[in-house]
Amino acid sequence: MPEIKVTPLGAGQDVGRSCILVSIGGKNIMLDCGMHMGYNDDRRFPDFSYITQNGRLTEFLDCVIISHFHLDHCGALPYMSEMVGYDGPIYMTHPTKAICPILLEDFRKITVDKKGETNFFTAQMIKDCMKKVVPLNLHQTVQVDEELEIKAYYAGHVLGAAMVQIKVGLESVVYTGDYNMTPDRHLGAAWIDKCRPDILISESTYATTIRDSKRCRERDFLKKVHETVERGGKVLIPVFALGRAQELCILLETFWERMNLKAPIYFSTGLTEKANHYYKLFITWTNQKIRKTFVQRNMFEFKHIKAFDRAYADNPGPMVVFATPGMLHAGQSLHIFKKWAGNEKNMVIMPGYCVQGTVGHKILNGQKKLEMEGRSTLDVKLQVEYMSFSAHADAKGIMQLIRMAEPRNMLLVHGEAKKMEFLKDKIEQEFDISCFMPANGETTTVVTNPNVPVDISLNLLKREMALGGPLPDSKRPRTMHGTLIMKDNSLRLVSPEQALKELGLSEHQLRFTCRVQLHDSHSDSDTLGRIYTYLKSALKNYGVQHLPDSTVIVESIVIKVTSSPEEPNLKVILLSWSYQDEELGSFLSTLLKKGLPS
Amino acid sequence: MDTSSDEADDWFIDSLNTYKDLHVFQLEHPTKVIEWTGDKRICVAGYTGARSEILELLLPLKLYAGDNQGLCAERDFKVQHGGFSEEPVECLIHIPETRFVVTSGGSSPALQIWDIGGDDSDVIKRTGVINPKSTSAKCGKIASGLTENPTVLHGSYTSDVQLTELATGRVLYTVGNESSDLVSGLQFVNACVFLICTSNGALLMGDIRDPLTCHYPLKESMSGLHWCFGLRTSSSQSDPSLCTIARLSSSGHMVLSDLRDLQNPFCQTQLNVQHSSAKNEFLIVSWASVLDSCLSVSGFDGTVQVYNTRNWSTEAQTPQPVFSHRGHDMSYEAKCSGSRPVVTTHAWHPSRPNTLLSAATDGSVHVWDWVDKTTDT
Repeated sequence: MPEIKVTPLGAGQDVGRSCILVSIGGKNIMLDCGMHMGYNDDRRFPDFSYITQNGRLTEFLDCVIISHFHLDHCGALPYMSEMVGYDGPIYMTHPTKAICPILLEDFRKITVDKKGETNFFTAQMIKDCMKKVVPLNLHQTVQVDEELEIKAYYAGHVLGAAMVQIKVGLESVVYTGDYNMTPDRHLGAAWIDKCRPDILISESTYATTIRDSKRCRERDFLKKVHETVERGGKVLIPVFALGRAQELCILLETFWERMNLKAPIYFSTGLTEKANHYYKLFITWTNQKIRKTFVQRNMFEFKHIKAFDRAYADNPGPMVVFATPGMLHAGQSLHIFKKWAGNEKNMVIMPGYCVQGTVGHKILNGQKKLEMEGRSTLDVKLQVEYMSFSAHADAKGIMQLIRMAEPRNMLLVHGEAKKMEFLKDKIEQEFDISCFMPANGETTTVVTNPNVPVDISLNLLKREMALGGPLPDSKRPRTMHGTLIMKDNSLRLVSPEQALKELGLSEHQLRFTCRVQLHDSHSDSDTLGRIYTYLKSALKNYGVQHLPDSTVIVESIVIKVTSSPEEPNLKVILLSWSYQDEELGSFLSTLLKKGLPS
Repeated sequence: MDTSSDEADDWFIDSLNTYKDLHVFQLEHPTKVIEWTGDKRICVAGYTGARSEILELLLPLKLYAGDNQGLCAERDFKVQHGGFSEEPVECLIHIPETRFVVTSGGSSPALQIWDIGGDDSDVIKRTGVINPKSTSAKCGKIASGLTENPTVLHGSYTSDVQLTELATGRVLYTVGNESSDLVSGLQFVNACVFLICTSNGALLMGDIRDPLTCHYPLKESMSGLHWCFGLRTSSSQSDPSLCTIARLSSSGHMVLSDLRDLQNPFCQTQLNVQHSSAKNEFLIVSWASVLDSCLSVSGFDGTVQVYNTRNWSTEAQTPQPVFSHRGHDMSYEAKCSGSRPVVTTHAWHPSRPNTLLSAATDGSVHVWDWVDKTTDT
């Protein structure tokens, strides 16, 4: 039976290291290659020994697909391709290809320079890895080889995030990566057509969450900023160039306008250039509203938001500043942080996850004293706020996605099976599909039942319909006779006559003749009459006829009676039937061999 | 997609000052029940389909982070346990000190007993059924007994109210009342004394040690109205002198009585609400768990109104709410579907003074902590 195998490679049950292996139609695909941010040793990498104990992965994998640029989905990519070894194609969308190397390099610098790690990929490895990347466009089918094709769908979540469909012949798998079903200020909602994959693979953590609305998160952000500014404090918001920054800017701009606030808002210039650059490249990835705005004016021509100058950080009074980098690990945001950290009226708002080793990570863990370069310590007295704006689907969203794609089976990764029984029941009952929950390292095998499409000839169809009644009638199944012709890549069902004609063959008939001897003193015609009466009562469900030409017909079987002049009491009953009536024919001959009732 | 309207935007901006915390959630199916099953957990259940989900949800951790609230980004509900009910769930109550809940719904007075479950499984399993001998086709109201032995008080009409022992299904007590009024609510005041409120506003007080009940109808009968009640006690084994009962009618009449003198209510007033007889099933009046003299009202429309009854006098007047939660009206879903949502139920947080939870017909569930503008603190 054809089957698809799925094995999540991430260690432990926790989210943080997405790497899923799929075997379909003889092809092996790796979906995402994430790093687990909580570990410092080899546990942070996926366990590639599952693929092969030693040696390079190239011959074992047909391709690698990366869903988006978050480190828990691409952080281990350079390690996999350059340190373990893989030279095949790596697929990702254009924005992911542009942003990935930047995040990987940042991450590498922090881990190696700040934390002094040695078993880590180098800057050159990141470059070499990216050379293997083949970019994808949305909704465009890409042939990886003659049999394997892939297609990217819009996932929302972050710029460039994609859900991927992998297809070999008639079997397919869709992997969602991270996605969200409600649009936000700068990204649309995930969308997929009714592609009916054999398996839909998604994260289980979504399904057990009911997410607070976007507006309430924004409200919390505005409330905190407003309170700080009202008391004369300064707000620092470290951001990465893209995505979240734009959204928060739009939000603040609208708020400032409405409340007629006067405190200045600044955006560091490095950020502006980078952001504009990316937006120009990837305008199709954002939602309608942003596109309209961008067309009308430069992304950052806000009424209330101005370009930042290093000197402003020392200005008295309230202000809000957006600065890079996002984890406070270097550069301008760290510089400003050092200046403002000592004042409890100030606030720093971290809008996302921070990698271990960064100042951002430390303050989010409640650290109040930080060791800076030159052995100086920094007292952290300002208010630290951690806000999660990342757009994820939830329990309702997962059901919506299943409704959209109509998969035949569901597979959820990163969950504990015994704690997911309710969800499994829910999916199985609402959609009548199986739901699988493999643990890391565990392989799920799904048997697929691919449909084989066969064209039926018009003649055959007409003939069936002429027999009466609507088709198909599940209460009265009928046997249909036809011939299946497999030629080139097509399968057709045609009538036997047409098949013979096409193949240039003439039809042969096969008839069986059987002689049964019977002792009977009647005349031939009387004996025939007795046979007729007997069969008529014995075979009530069949058409038995006595014809004037001295034959008895049962369905299509012909019965004659003869006798020789020397022995008039020894009758010979001749039965003749075509091979289609073989069963009835042999039944009749056996019956008549037993003799006639007197 | 531009999902906001100006009114909704204004309300959200205002909310920065009017609420300390605000969380807005969207369930797949609307719920009519919000019942506390633990310090941080609630149960909700569907009532709109043949197959209804019962969910136990863990409240967002951010609400409990105290001084470290800033460092906790967790704003979401977590689904801890879930189960399926073949009947829509109209009532759901939790048996204190246990992991059991009892539900009623559909067109029979039968009750279902469920085990929410512990850490090893996330499935809410049905463990039993109580089949009262009543012939009515109405689902019953339920209240938890307050004795160590888990019991439930239930019934749809005053003539069929009974106390059933959960473990055995044994009927321990039946109300000896001839009249057959529709029950709108019932609750234990302490381990032995209970109150029943009928749909026409009368109160019945009984004691499980005594089959007879005392009947206290309303002085002026206001026909055509539906009444519900809310009981304020300071603890489960309380002294009856500390009990206040609020009765609310579907046209906004409010009657406050002291348990010591149910014959003569000490306050009657008229709230400024829109009368709509179509929503009797959602009518709720509920006393605050921590705040003194505060009660809340919902079921008339998409709002929850909080009142401070301390300054209400016996004269007829129209009191103003100290707070009105309009969140359900202002939600995106409401705008889209055409018909305005109606609040189906609400509940006060057991320990946080100003925190409430509310749910509406559009499936929304809100957790909100309102700011009291009437006091100077």
